Amino acid sequence: MSRGRKKRILIAKPGLDGHDRGVKVVARALRNAGMEVIYAGLHQTPLQIVSAAIDEDVDAIGLSILSGAHNTIFPKIMSFLKDRGASDILVFGGGTIPKKDLENLKSLGIGEIFTTGTDTRAIIDYLNTTLER
Amino acid sequence: MSRLFDKNAIEDIDREKDQWQKEIYQPAEGEEKVFETLSGIPVEPLYTPAHTAGMDYLNDLGFPGQEPYVRGVHPTMYRGRTWTLRQLAGFGPAEETNKRYKFLLKEGATGINGVFDYPTLRGFDSTDPFARADAGRGGVAIDTIEDMSILFEGIPIDKISTSLVTCQPICNISVQSMYFASAEMRNVPLDKLTGTSQNDFLMETVITVAPELLPPRFSFKLSCDAIEYCTRHVPRWNPISFAGYNYRESGCSAAQEVAFVIANATACSEELILRGLEVDSFAPRLSFFLSAHNDFFEEIAKYRAARRIWFHIMKERFGAKDPRSLRLRFHVQTAGVALTAQQPLNNISRAAYHALSAVLGGAQSVHIDGYDEALCTPTELSSLTALRTNQILQLETRATNTIDPLGGSYFVETLTNKVEEETLRLLDEIDGMGGIVKAAATGWIHKEISNSAYEYQQAIESGKMPIVGVNCYQMEEEELPVDLFQVPETLQIQEQKLKRIKNERNGSHVREALDAVARCCEQDGNLMEVIVESVKSRVTQGEISQTLKGSYGTWEPPLF
Repeated sequence: MSRGRKKRILIAKPGLDGHDRGVKVVARALRNAGMEVIYAGLHQTPLQIVSAAIDEDVDAIGLSILSGAHNTIFPKIMSFLKDRGASDILVFGGGTIPKKDLENLKSLGIGEIFTTGTDTRAIIDYLNTTLER
Repeated sequence: MSRLFDKNAIEDIDREKDQWQKEIYQPAEGEEKVFETLSGIPVEPLYTPAHTAGMDYLNDLGFPGQEPYVRGVHPTMYRGRTWTLRQLAGFGPAEETNKRYKFLLKEGATGINGVFDYPTLRGFDSTDPFARADAGRGGVAIDTIEDMSILFEGIPIDKISTSLVTCQPICNISVQSMYFASAEMRNVPLDKLTGTSQNDFLMETVITVAPELLPPRFSFKLSCDAIEYCTRHVPRWNPISFAGYNYRESGCSAAQEVAFVIANATACSEELILRGLEVDSFAPRLSFFLSAHNDFFEEIAKYRAARRIWFHIMKERFGAKDPRSLRLRFHVQTAGVALTAQQPLNNISRAAYHALSAVLGGAQSVHIDGYDEALCTPTELSSLTALRTNQILQLETRATNTIDPLGGSYFVETLTNKVEEETLRLLDEIDGMGGIVKAAATGWIHKEISNSAYEYQQAIESGKMPIVGVNCYQMEEEELPVDLFQVPETLQIQEQKLKRIKNERNGSHVREALDAVARCCEQDGNLMEVIVESVKSRVTQGEISQTLKGSYGTWEPPLF
């Protein structure tokens, strides 16, 4: 990304699980860290999320999944991004995701998964480092 | 007058305490740190009779089963009957959850607490494009009355009380109707049924939001329809359980939790009175669902304060006369948000303390969380351990021997007064906005909760709030000692059932049933009266929800 521009991050919560405490806290923490956060509150199908990310020209998409549907939803997002030629957008995620699934998710091209109990500063550091490269 | 202490004695105590604090009490090294409750109420080093000197025993505390019910809603409390062991369970298709219910009942659970998957809570069929990834997750999938019949197959619903965690009114209006209709089909009369449904419009419009929400006033209407229906036809059913637990989980403080449930209950009462019901016809069946969080004494104070506030509102604002209307009865679930994914077995101790606070606060029923809930849906082992924790509390600790054992504690009484004060301040603020439905529609509650949640996270990250295993005593390369629960295959099973049902059912009956729902919306009738009949023709939950959304429109909540 070009220097000087604020990092633009789309934060979304796919699926019908409404436990959005975590995703809102993360959105606010990223905003307070100087990033531009687009919170795609109710646009929750994988296709809606990918379209919004492209329309908003974001640098990264952060997805929160607590319901256990991560193995269904992440691959869909990644494949829609590929179809739309937008694989350069960084995808990261968080939520109730067991360790044993992490390797498989990362092999899909997901940058990082932050599991329950993560400090928001770890997410900010990760985005600052990864998006500066 | 029944002042707790003699005025002269209080003066002596106050004087001596000042001296103690000046001369004897030496603040420990590092005591410049702030001592306060989880909600930020300052806590003093010591409480004495002087703190409660302004209280009047009979007016402010009274006796169990008597006004103002601070010491308990029943005269005998746990000496007569202990709290219900109501462990939450639900996952996958109904066939699988039915087995878990039978397992928990066999192991000594005394009530069922059924939780529904995300599509069901939101009013979608499992096969809806919005829903497919979440079918069977977070609860059991219910698409038609057939699923409901399978869920309770072989369970004596005329003898056991059932809690239906139908959080959102759009879910409740169909799913509770299916439960009632399926009882009728089993020849169990509706007046024999006992149980509770959640049915809280704040759950739908504020606490957990999803696509295609109903606007708050219509969600609120559906909630009141169910209360009115039960008042007329299912007299032993608690048709609403104001879900303070979930408000708390999403970020509220203790006082916000109580204020929002009571404001919600107040709004429902006003609406039902407007519909022509007598307050004493429905108020005895309004029930509450509260959290047990980390601050042990503040939680106990919260339950006691909530009872006193509800008593005054029911008696003074609504003129209720039936003692049952004046008693705030509540179910407690231990705080899921307080559980950690790190070192998960520690959660067994956390939940046990949480549950003890609920019992010392006089809860009517208690669910203890499984130790693995920060990681997955509870396994059979973690559910069983939670049930056993509840049984140990009930049978081994002797905490049940006397009623309200902390009543009269200088600290707990003072804290009860403080939580009450803060709650009343919030209730005034909500009243000033025109009530809870307006406060939801403008986004005020969304913002309040979002702010509290952010502050909580900041307190953890700054280290101000220690959480063992998370910001202190962490372990590197920790081995998870638990097997994780795998949700059984659900979508395919529901897809096949729906396909078969849609082939089998009578198309014109289905159309008539859905037309009747739409007509009822237009005529502003009571929807549950219609839907209990509609579901018998095997219309799906999604079809009913779509009809409601067609009539009422959808709403995008303000996001913070």
